[in-house]
Amino acid sequence: MRSRRSEISYAARQRAYRLLLYFLMFVGCAIMLLPFFWMLTTSLKTEAAAMRMPPQWFPPKFRWDNYAVAWSMAPFGRYFFNSFFVSITSTIGEVITTILAAYAFAKMRFFGKNVLFAILLGTLMIPGEMLLVPNYVTLARLGWLDHYEALIIPWMVSVFGIFLLRQFFRSIPDELWDAARIDGCPRGRYLWRVIVPLSKPAVLTVALFKFLGSWNAYQWVLMMTNTESMRTVPVGLATFSSDIGTAYHLLMAASVMAILPILILFFFTQKQFIQGIARTGIK
Amino acid sequence: MLRKMVVGLLGVLLLGTAAMAANEPVTIDFWHAMSSGHQPNLQKLATDFMAEYPYITVTLTYQGSYSALQGKINAAVAAGNLPTIAQVYENWVTPIESILYPIGPHMTMMEVGDIVDGLVPSNTYNGVLTTVPFNKSIMVLYYNADLVATPPTSWAEFFDLSKSLTADLNGDGTIERYGTAFRPAANPEQLLVYLDQAGGSILSADWSAVTINDAAGMAAIQFLGSLIPYAFVTADYMSDHMGKVAMFIDTSAGYNYNKTAATNAGYNLGVAMLPAGPATQSSMIQGTNLAVFDVPNQTQAQKDAAVLLARFLLRAENTVFWAMKSGYQPVTKSAYELQTWKDYVAANPYQQEMSAQMLLGFSQILHPNYGDMRSIIATKFDEIMRSATGALDGLNSMAEEIAPLLSE
Repeated sequence: MRSRRSEISYAARQRAYRLLLYFLMFVGCAIMLLPFFWMLTTSLKTEAAAMRMPPQWFPPKFRWDNYAVAWSMAPFGRYFFNSFFVSITSTIGEVITTILAAYAFAKMRFFGKNVLFAILLGTLMIPGEMLLVPNYVTLARLGWLDHYEALIIPWMVSVFGIFLLRQFFRSIPDELWDAARIDGCPRGRYLWRVIVPLSKPAVLTVALFKFLGSWNAYQWVLMMTNTESMRTVPVGLATFSSDIGTAYHLLMAASVMAILPILILFFFTQKQFIQGIARTGIK
Repeated sequence: MLRKMVVGLLGVLLLGTAAMAANEPVTIDFWHAMSSGHQPNLQKLATDFMAEYPYITVTLTYQGSYSALQGKINAAVAAGNLPTIAQVYENWVTPIESILYPIGPHMTMMEVGDIVDGLVPSNTYNGVLTTVPFNKSIMVLYYNADLVATPPTSWAEFFDLSKSLTADLNGDGTIERYGTAFRPAANPEQLLVYLDQAGGSILSADWSAVTINDAAGMAAIQFLGSLIPYAFVTADYMSDHMGKVAMFIDTSAGYNYNKTAATNAGYNLGVAMLPAGPATQSSMIQGTNLAVFDVPNQTQAQKDAAVLLARFLLRAENTVFWAMKSGYQPVTKSAYELQTWKDYVAANPYQQEMSAQMLLGFSQILHPNYGDMRSIIATKFDEIMRSATGALDGLNSMAEEIAPLLSE
């Protein structure tokens, strides 16, 4: 009798615990989604409603034409093309260079490997803003300003990506390489046929981080380009703000359009992305 | 007779050559920070200019916010690829004054004399008008017209009104409505306005000494300190807090945002000239100028074309067009006499106050380290208005930190 009662009590505690857990998850989820909800509803408000205090959660009347107005205020078609082109090419480039470098640091032996890796990590300590002007001067001398080269090539290498993949590659047993060597597999084939498929979540994480970073890049694009035909979506978003105020309703409409590709990408890769995060220990 | 004919022929030949040279196609790049709302109007002016000077092509290049534009200009100085002409704040170009192509010497005396008086010193380097004003706004007093029947005209009236309008409306022990408001960290110009109105300045006329904490400075900061209990202090735009403030000083360029926010908050917005201080009723002019760059990557033809553009934008009808469309103020005296502007002011009475205030405007000093001085003033002013530092201590501390910048 007592054990039955304690079983019931245990089950009730478990249920209460689960309920509490779900409640906390719901609250966390709501906090995460609130900015997106706010962005979406503001994108459908009038200018006056967007600035109203206290804020209105729902617009009294949905202004779908905000999207058309926002789209027409800058050449967003071109901006989207550039964002896709730059993000995809720099992502492909970075994935290739990162895999090669990470493999070398993780699995190969060469003179000064650790020192070189430490120096490489040390570059992460230098704030990007400090390098903006020297990089601008370098690109100006190369004649790359206002060209795709300026937006893609400097971003085809990522020290963070190398570090991330190196950690992942190190967790792959060396016995696999021994077995591959016995079978006569050259190092290049072993890398692309064995290591990379085994590291798919980590590689996809690196790719996704790169794509996100590239898609959201603002300051670099603004600095390195002059013509509308070379600019990307985030630069387009900035045109809705000035020193005296911001057209929030149009900015939010354009922002919704800007995050859609990212949401779609995440929707299709979320499993690998979460696996990559979990297995590489990124927080 | 023959001699006259030869001279005449030579003259025609020279004029023809000059005309041909002048008609060589030339493209100039104009870097600006005007966001999407202003861009069609700027483009319209550029198009009108190109119609008048068909051999000149103006490429307008948006470079983001003012700070992004400044960053880009700094980088372009290092890389040697500056544009022909750009929108600039005074403190951006004072350190690179030597690479500015003076516009004034290529203007007529009438054009130079037509620029609003308060705008001339901040565009004059070593006695030469080097840059010219472009988008200029003036600090004015905005007020809740439902609460304030007659806007204050003196510091004393401003203090009394601020005090009487500050209220705990629901009796919960916290203030719901403040008499006035300040954005000290974002807009230290508010302090500079009171400083000038008290007859003070940051530096002595010859920049040899810091004078911000002299008697006039102390009068200004003591007055501001007396407003602390009745002042809402924020770093946000005033339009974000319109409902809780009865009166505030803000740029004329923010009128449309403030008007919309006031309507949302359910009151009528009034605009008035600033209450007068012990010395003047002056106000600070803000906004950018146009600078032409004298650098190897710009040809003489490009620089000449840029000067023509600057002069074109200063024409009364063009500065009035820009003012009516953008919310900035006209920058020439003749513009204020133009019938178009008078009609516009008649239809928009708040502009009467802004225009009158503009003609009593003063600009920032051209010291090369003004940008750093402004940062110090902003930090200390913020501390004072948030009661983190006493008013006089804060002012003296400002002076101490500014002093080393005189010799750098």
